[in-house]
Parts: sequence; C-alpha cells; structure tokens
Amino acid sequence: MTDAGFWILQFLNALQYSMLLFLLSIGLTVIFGLLHFINLAHGALYMLGAYVGVSIAAATGSYWAAFLLAPLAVMAIGAVLYFTLIDRLRQAGPMNQVLVTFGLIFVFLDAVRIGWGDIALGLDAPKMFQGASHIFGVDYPTYRLFIIALGLVVMGVLMVILNRTQIGAMIRAGVENEHMAAAMGINVGRLFFLVFCVGCALAGLAGVVAAPVFSATTGMGISILIPTLIVVVIGGLGSLQGAVVGALIVGFLETLGAAVLPGFAAISVYLLLAAILVLRPQGLIPARG
Amino acid sequence: MKKYISGLAVAAALTTISTAALAETTVGLLLPKSGVFAALGNEIDDGFVFALEEAGRADDIKIVREDTEVKPPVGLAKARKLVLQDEVDVIVGVVSSGVLGAMRDFIHEAEVPLIVSNAGNDAATGAACSPYITRVSFSNGQVNRPMGQWMHDQGIQKVYTLASDYAAGHQMIDNFTAAFTEAGGEIIGSEYTPFGQTKDFGPYLTNARAANPDAIFVFYAGGEAISFVKQYGSFGMAADVPLFGSGFLTSPLYVAAEGDAAVGVKTSLHYVPTLDTPENNAFVAAFKERFGRTPSEYAVQGYDSARVLLGALDSGATDRKSIAAALPKVSYTGPRGPLEIDPATNNVVQNIYIYETVKDGDALTQKVVGVVEGVRDAPNGCALQ
Amino acid sequence: MFRQTPLRTFALIAVLAGLATYAATGGYFAREIVLEITILAILAVSLDIVSGFGGMVSLFHGALMGLSAYGYSVLTVKFGLPPLPAAVLGVAFAAVCGTIVGGIASNTTGIFFIMTTLAFGQLAYTLVFQSRWLGGDDGMGGIPRFDFKWLGINMNDSLQFAIFAILLLGLVYVAAAVLLRGAYGRTLSGVHANEDRMRALGVTTWVVRMRGFGFSALLAGVAGIIAAQHTQYISPELLFWTVSGEVLIVAILGGSGTLIGPAIGAVVFVLLKHEISNYTDHWHMFVGAALILTVLAGGRGIYGQLEHWLKRGDA
Repeated sequence: MTDAGFWILQFLNALQYSMLLFLLSIGLTVIFGLLHFINLAHGALYMLGAYVGVSIAAATGSYWAAFLLAPLAVMAIGAVLYFTLIDRLRQAGPMNQVLVTFGLIFVFLDAVRIGWGDIALGLDAPKMFQGASHIFGVDYPTYRLFIIALGLVVMGVLMVILNRTQIGAMIRAGVENEHMAAAMGINVGRLFFLVFCVGCALAGLAGVVAAPVFSATTGMGISILIPTLIVVVIGGLGSLQGAVVGALIVGFLETLGAAVLPGFAAISVYLLLAAILVLRPQGLIPARG
Repeated sequence: MKKYISGLAVAAALTTISTAALAETTVGLLLPKSGVFAALGNEIDDGFVFALEEAGRADDIKIVREDTEVKPPVGLAKARKLVLQDEVDVIVGVVSSGVLGAMRDFIHEAEVPLIVSNAGNDAATGAACSPYITRVSFSNGQVNRPMGQWMHDQGIQKVYTLASDYAAGHQMIDNFTAAFTEAGGEIIGSEYTPFGQTKDFGPYLTNARAANPDAIFVFYAGGEAISFVKQYGSFGMAADVPLFGSGFLTSPLYVAAEGDAAVGVKTSLHYVPTLDTPENNAFVAAFKERFGRTPSEYAVQGYDSARVLLGALDSGATDRKSIAAALPKVSYTGPRGPLEIDPATNNVVQNIYIYETVKDGDALTQKVVGVVEGVRDAPNGCALQ
Repeated sequence: MFRQTPLRTFALIAVLAGLATYAATGGYFAREIVLEITILAILAVSLDIVSGFGGMVSLFHGALMGLSAYGYSVLTVKFGLPPLPAAVLGVAFAAVCGTIVGGIASNTTGIFFIMTTLAFGQLAYTLVFQSRWLGGDDGMGGIPRFDFKWLGINMNDSLQFAIFAILLLGLVYVAAAVLLRGAYGRTLSGVHANEDRMRALGVTTWVVRMRGFGFSALLAGVAGIIAAQHTQYISPELLFWTVSGEVLIVAILGGSGTLIGPAIGAVVFVLLKHEISNYTDHWHMFVGAALILTVLAGGRGIYGQLEHWLKRGDA
C-alpha cells in the first residue's frame, strides 16, 4: 500500500466515524437548543434503533425496511416519552428533565435485555453495499461510503430546512428567544414536540445505520453517549454548525489518534473536552450570537 | 400383603432420606448475570444444570446463585457471602479474570474449593495457584500457544497482532507471540485497541494492512468480536491478509451475527461443537434437545465443571477439604475429548483444536483443521507439588 | 440554608443505630450489606454538599472515591507505608484533586459543570485502566486494613470493621453539618440561590464553589479508604462515571439538599437492590423507574417528602 493510500483510507475512516457522530449529536443538540435540557437517553434511543432494526430486517428480510421503519418506531417511542414525561416536567426545570432521561437509560437497557437477550446481534448491510468500492485509488467498504453520503445528505437537508423554510425560521426563533417566539404567535409547544420527535428519529436512524458495522449490543447506548455529549459540548450546545464541527473534530481526533498514537487516543477526547470547557465553555460555534 | 406394601413404602422413604442426607452438597454458582458478560454467565449456568440433570443428580445438589456483575469487588463480596453465610461446600463459576484475581486470596485462606469455569488468567494456575483452585475451562496461554507453532507450520512468517487493551488481551497476545517467535516467525507490528469504547476498528485494520503481514492474529470476545470480524470482512482483506485468532473470536455464540465475514477465519480453542466423537455427538444432540441451541465452549465449561465436581463427590469426597483434594484426580473423556486435571497446577489438560469457520448451506459451522493433543501448561511458578 | 433540625438528628441516629443493630444481629452477609450502605452513604452525603447545597451536580465523585482508594493502596502495597499515614495521604490526594477539578469546573454552571466533572472523571478512569503499574483492569490486591490491636479492636473481624465504618459515617455527617451550618455554608447556599447578589456583596463566587468541592472531595476520599480496606482489593470500575451516576441517584432518591436524605437513600437503594435481585437480574430497571417516579413526584426524595408532609401538617 502506498503512503498516500494509507492516509486516504484513514481519512475516510475518520469521515465515516464523524458522520455517524453527526447523526447522533444533531438530534441531541437541536433538542437542547429548543428545550434546554440534555437528553441523556439519546444513546439508549440509538440502541433501540439498532435492535428494532435488526428485528425488522429479520422479519421482512430487507435492510431497507429496517432503515425506514426503525427510525419511525424510535420516533413513536420519543412521542410517548414527550407526553408522559418531558412535557410534564417543563415547569420543573431542565435538571429534572436530565434526571428523568438518566433514569430512562436503565429502563431501556433492561427492556432491551429482556426483549432481545444479552447476546450481541448482527445486521447484514444491504446486498448492493456489501464488499468494497474503488475510490481515490483505494478500496474502501461500500457501506462505509454509504454512511458518509447519508451523513452529508442529512446535513444538507437540515441546513436547508433550518435556513430556508418557515418551520426552520420558527426553530431558529425558538432557540434565540423562546418567549419572544411565543409572543410572535409561534405555537412553541407543538414546535418542541416536533423537534423532540425528529431528534429521536435521528438517533434511531443512527442506530440502524451503525448496526451493520458495530452490531447491536446492550452496551452500545452507554458507550456512545459520552462521545456524543463531547461532540455537542465542543461544537456548542444547540448549534447545528457546532454539531458538524464537533463531530468532525472528535471523529478525526479519535481515528487519527488511533492510527498514529494508539495509547493516547483513549484520553485525547477527554483532554480536548476539558480544554474546551475551560477556555471556551460556550463551545466553538455557540448557538446564540 | 398390605403390610408388605407399607414395609416397602417405609423402606423407600428411608432410602430417600438416606440419599438426601448423603448428597448434602451445596454449590455456590458465582456468575455474571448482568453487565457485559451476562450471556456467558447464562451459557455456563445452563451447561452446569444440564450436566446435573443428565446424571440424575439435579435434586441432590443445592445451588445458591450469586451475580458478580463483572465487578471484582462485588465478586469478592459475593464469594465471602457464599462461604461465610450460605456455607457452601464448593464455589463454581467466575467468568472474568479480574473477579478471579480479587477472590484468589480469600478462597485460598478460607480453604474452600473453587472450580473455575471460565476466567483464563495464567497466574491463577501459575504463580498464584492454590490447592483450592481447580480450573476446568482453559488458561489464556493454553489456548494461544499451540497456534504459534501451527501457523508457522502453515508457512506464515510475518504476523501483525491486534487485541483489546486489557489484561486478558495482553496475555493472549504475549503467549501467542512467544510461541510464534520461538517457532521462527516474526511479529512485525502489534496494537491494543481501547476496550469497550467506540468500536471502529477501521483505523487499526488500515494500520495492520499497511504493515503488509502474511496474516493477522487477534483476540476479541463478545460484541467486540462481532464488530471486528464484520469490519475485517467489509475491508475486503481476506484475500491478501488472512485472519487468525483466539477461538473466542468466532465462537458459535456469535458466529451467526458475524455472518459471511467469518468464513475462512481460523482460530484455536479447547472446544468445537462439530467435533466428531461419540461423546460430543451425544452431548450436542442432548443439549440441543434440552435448550434448542448448539452448545458453545462456555456451555461445555459449565457442563464439565459439574462433571468434575460429580466425579469428586463420587470418589467419596464430602466436605470442602476432601472435595478440594479429590478434584485434581478426576479424569474422563467428555465432549472436548480426554480431560484431566494437572496435579502440578490444578489446570485442565486438554486438546486444543484449530478450526476454520465454513459455510454449510446457509448456516456457518466449524471445520477442525488441526488438533494439538493434551496441551499442558508449564508450572510457571506454581509449587503445588 | 442548612438546619440541623431535631428530626434530622433523630433520622441520623436511627440510621446509625439501625445499621449497627443489623450488623450485630444479622449474619455475615448483613455486615457486607451494612458496609456497602455505609460507603455509598458517605459518598452520597459528600455529594449532597455540592449538588444539594451548592447546585453543582458532579459526575466526579466516583472518581474521587477511586483516587483516594488507589492512593491509599499504592502507598501501602507498593511503598509499604503504614495504613494510618497512607489513609491520610489518600484522602488528601482526593481533596487536592477535588479542589483542582472543582476550581476548573466552578467557572461553569448547569450542564457544563456536569460535563467538566464527567471529562475529568473519565480521564482519571482511563488513565488508571491503562496503567500496567496500577494493575490495569486486573486491579490491585493485598490491601491492608487499619491495625487497632493496641486499642483492643480487631479490624479483621467483620462486625468490628462494620462498626468502625458506621462511626466514620457519623463523623462525616457531623463534619458536613458543622460546615454547612457555619458562615461558609450560608455563603455557599447564597451563591447557589443568587450568584449575582453574592457577587455584588463582594464574594468571589468561584472560589466559594471550589472550596465546597474540595471539602466534599475530602469526605468522598474517606469513602474510598473504607472501600479499599473493605474488599482489600480495588479495580478501575470504582472510577467509572456510572458509579458517580449511581451516587447521584441515591442522593436524589433519599432527598437532595437535606444531608441526611442521601444517607437514607443509600440504605433504601442497597436493601432494595439486594431484595429485587433475588427475583430478577433486571434490577437496574427498577432503579431507573424509581428515579423517574421520584422526579415526577416533585423531586423531594424520600426524606424530603417526609419533611414536606410534616411541615404542611404544622401549617
């Protein structure tokens, strides 16, 4: 393998991981931007997306059915959560909402263990994306290229929605100043519900997309939560651009760190997070100017 | 006539009482029932219970179950509870080497026999061995050393190694490395990946491939094994860099989830369910009948833990001391083949099988491609004899 | 504002006496449970100083316990220091680490404070896990207990060791109560309630927070010493962030901001855990559900709810 080929491969690895982190963190950060609490159960919803996806694929024999239906299923769970817990605690403040979602981690974890067992489950990538493709002079797994493309598409669609549509304007107004937005006649409650559901669906999407690479395990929700939190804090809580930048930084730091300095890779993200929190606690690209 | 019948009934009742009194053996089954190794704990539990049922002894032996949660301090606390409160005659189980390390001194000082049914830490039957610790599962060295010579015999000269960055990972790789270099091979690169964190092996696989080895040798288990094999497959490396490893990598427990990526992977292990011996065929058939699935190496470890214990009891052992003394004397031919306990270390002596995962119709199965018979660990500082 | 009401004194005495009675009359495993409760209770009480009274939700307290335990173990096992000075140094190590991390985190609030403490906690966990010298994930064994033979106390006796731990819990509570009742406690509550006003009064608020965190770390360090001496074996799991999360749950279940509530929370948590795990391996689900129900019920926790009812009864 040429030296250039090596770095192209590592670059693609980093990009692929960044896109997965982006899919996860975007939901988390937008929910924070509007509702002002961190949904700690986000990782658990990612896990549910993977497990539900595995079951749908097994029942229908089609990866694409899982790809479409698993996010919807997770969204439905999110909707139920919103009405039973999140909305009820609006007045009680963000810390109570954080605690409730912390409790949900344990509930979902054991629910998955009861429903699917303790043994990790695999999910096959769709036939058309199995094997490797030739790109930039290297062979790279086609499914990973699909993840990169999906991340870019989701990124583009969200940018357009946020910047060019009426609903996007409402969300931006809500992030900027919730009371002002309400005074201007925006139905803030419905907006919150919508954003929460979309955020959950994106977590479910990330889960079903990640399953063919990482397989579905009961520990996946807790182990992905920390990197996701790091991404949104580094980027700036509530900020879409921040999630993009944060995901790229964490993805590249972990991947290239693993390639060059494996012993250091595990602690590098924590050092970075600590440094950002000390020097620039609002994040690199804050949600509010 | 009536008298005769009632006499029989009394006699029968008396027999029942006397056998119950004879079989007063209490076993503390100490396994992870939550946490990352819960699946292994359940396999071992099933295997253990299955052996008791098969021998018709399920009612004679009282089992007290405790969950280690895969946390060493919890495991130690539960071991103390089993010994001091439940007053068990013998403890069976322990999946993680960390838990075993935490319990070791307590077990040794309390003089309670422990039958280790998974944890492979070499020291447990090496420098830190004890007459009270008998291992019927495997040691990390035992599983990996034979692979060094065997791979070199296949004409492999340069190997790159990868493993999870925790104690067992280092031990597995160290043992393989020692054997492979002794055989004349060369390790041209080695990396340890952060344990239990993000499971993207892409960067490591890319590094391994860039080193241009003849083969890679890895140790991964559980969820990490599935991710690793699938990612190895997706990078299309099988053609130029074949994958070898510790047999846990393609355990029957996980191989279905790994799918086609596992085909062609060659690994070494102390048990393979497709082993074609009368003992194993009978075992696999009966286990499938009872649980509806193929037994894994973990189930066999639980099964043999019970058989070794029953062997000791049948030889007349009744209390902690006599059970501990009788355990190393048990030997028989079971599902894994000939099995005996080495009195020098109290570690099991057994065959190591090198198997290739192959396709059989739609399902994946194991084809044994090499056998190293009667693998025995060196005492490594153990002074039982 | 903290008040050591008669009810709280009564609850404290009831907890300590209850634990001692259970240890003395129960079997061996009762003492194991008592020690598990005591360690968790010390940690929860220390956490309550910062989270309940200072508004600083910390995910660093598991790591603090672990750092003190590792400090003590390294000094005794690797350097052969006698247990007593090693314990003092171990606790001091936790206090220093807590003051530094608290100082850094004190510039932030809310979710950012949580994230900062999480980052440093995971940093400590990862460093310990990766360190071959500290035994990595295999941990360290052979840790000695205090030697009080000259007092006629045998620390290797499970009952006497349990009583010793219960006494330490009492001491930790009293130390925390004295601090919170004093001038410093009023300042800390003031900073939590209205930071701007305290600033206008000339208080350097982050220093107040840092000192509170350092003191809390000191008490968390005491839990680490007992944990290390109890099992005489330690491993990196002590430092993992979910341990801190569990302590937070315990403090909230018992009653955050009441000081005695978290200790009661520890009693309830450990007893329920053992009771439920007799029937199912899925006891985490009940823990999660209990936390959710507590928050939905107003977040006062068991003891907080009790005080709330009694107060309403008075009015």
